Amino acid sequence: MMQHHWDDDERLLADLSEAVGETAPLADVIADYGSGAYAWRTVERDLLRASLSFDSSLERVTERRGGPDDPRVLTFTAAPLSVELEVMPDQVVGQILPPGAGEILVETADGVTFHVQADDVGFFILPNVPHGSVRLRCDTAVARLVTDWIRL
Amino acid sequence: MDDGDYSVTWLVDAANRGDERAWHEIVDRYTPLLASVIRRFRLTTAGAQDVAQTVWLRLVEHLGSLREPRALPTWIITTARRECLRCVSDQRRVLPLDPQDPSWLATAADEADPGAELVRAERHEALLAGLAELPARQRELLLLLMADPPLSYEVISQRTGIAHGGIGPSRSRALARLRQTAAVTHYLSGGDDHDAAPLGRR
Repeated sequence: MMQHHWDDDERLLADLSEAVGETAPLADVIADYGSGAYAWRTVERDLLRASLSFDSSLERVTERRGGPDDPRVLTFTAAPLSVELEVMPDQVVGQILPPGAGEILVETADGVTFHVQADDVGFFILPNVPHGSVRLRCDTAVARLVTDWIRL
Repeated sequence: MDDGDYSVTWLVDAANRGDERAWHEIVDRYTPLLASVIRRFRLTTAGAQDVAQTVWLRLVEHLGSLREPRALPTWIITTARRECLRCVSDQRRVLPLDPQDPSWLATAADEADPGAELVRAERHEALLAGLAELPARQRELLLLLMADPPLSYEVISQRTGIAHGGIGPSRSRALARLRQTAAVTHYLSGGDDHDAAPLGRR
């Protein structure tokens, strides 16, 4: 087996110290957000968790597809239901799939919540673009779901 | 030695069952790793905070899908990187590129040798994920030994309850344990699971 310089206590501690030291300026505020996050834990058993399965803004960075002014498109999936969002400069339009009426609750991590209604074909509009971390709860005849937290 | 020594698997399971103290312990252990990933992307302060908040909020809901200890650091690194990339994409859309802005200069400096920066980042992530696996007392001792400005052995002895003469040997044992953590052995094996077994140093 090759000797690694981490076999030496002083070198291992020096590298560790460098790694920890660089995170120090950010660490306290990051830990504070971590502590606060647990209050948002959902415990409902019949609630589907819809994971973010597509995000056009990530495609844009990694594959350089699309222009900077194209609306951002997001898809959350939790079989049998999914939700698509299209983020415009001043509003967000959404679509529940398969199409159907539903109640949407928008939750933001700073505590602001509001309801919007999805029409008979599953279309809905958020009249503004919420700031910070946000998630949607969708209650439809098919299922109830909550999306991953995202920033719009 | 084993008081407060909960395995990552136990903590994830307990936090998922509603044990808030287990969650705080997870946050305590993995904050340096998350901070290390976010730091690399040179986001604005607000951007860095948004990413951190989103990663933690999402982790709370994903605890049920993480059963294996190494799945947690991997999940944190992957999720944080994606969120940082989204944030970079947003910032580029919103902010005009100002060559005088020091944050862009910093990014440019890193990109002069992206290979070296990546190697360094992976080394740091392995060490911080390893540190998170250590029992609380060993982690606390190492953090005190690395404090900036440095602390005297007297102060470290008072804070840890370890006798002055025991600090040197305890430090060696903590570092030996760090080398044996899943994160560090995985890193030293070149990240290839097939090579992990011969590197076990028990």
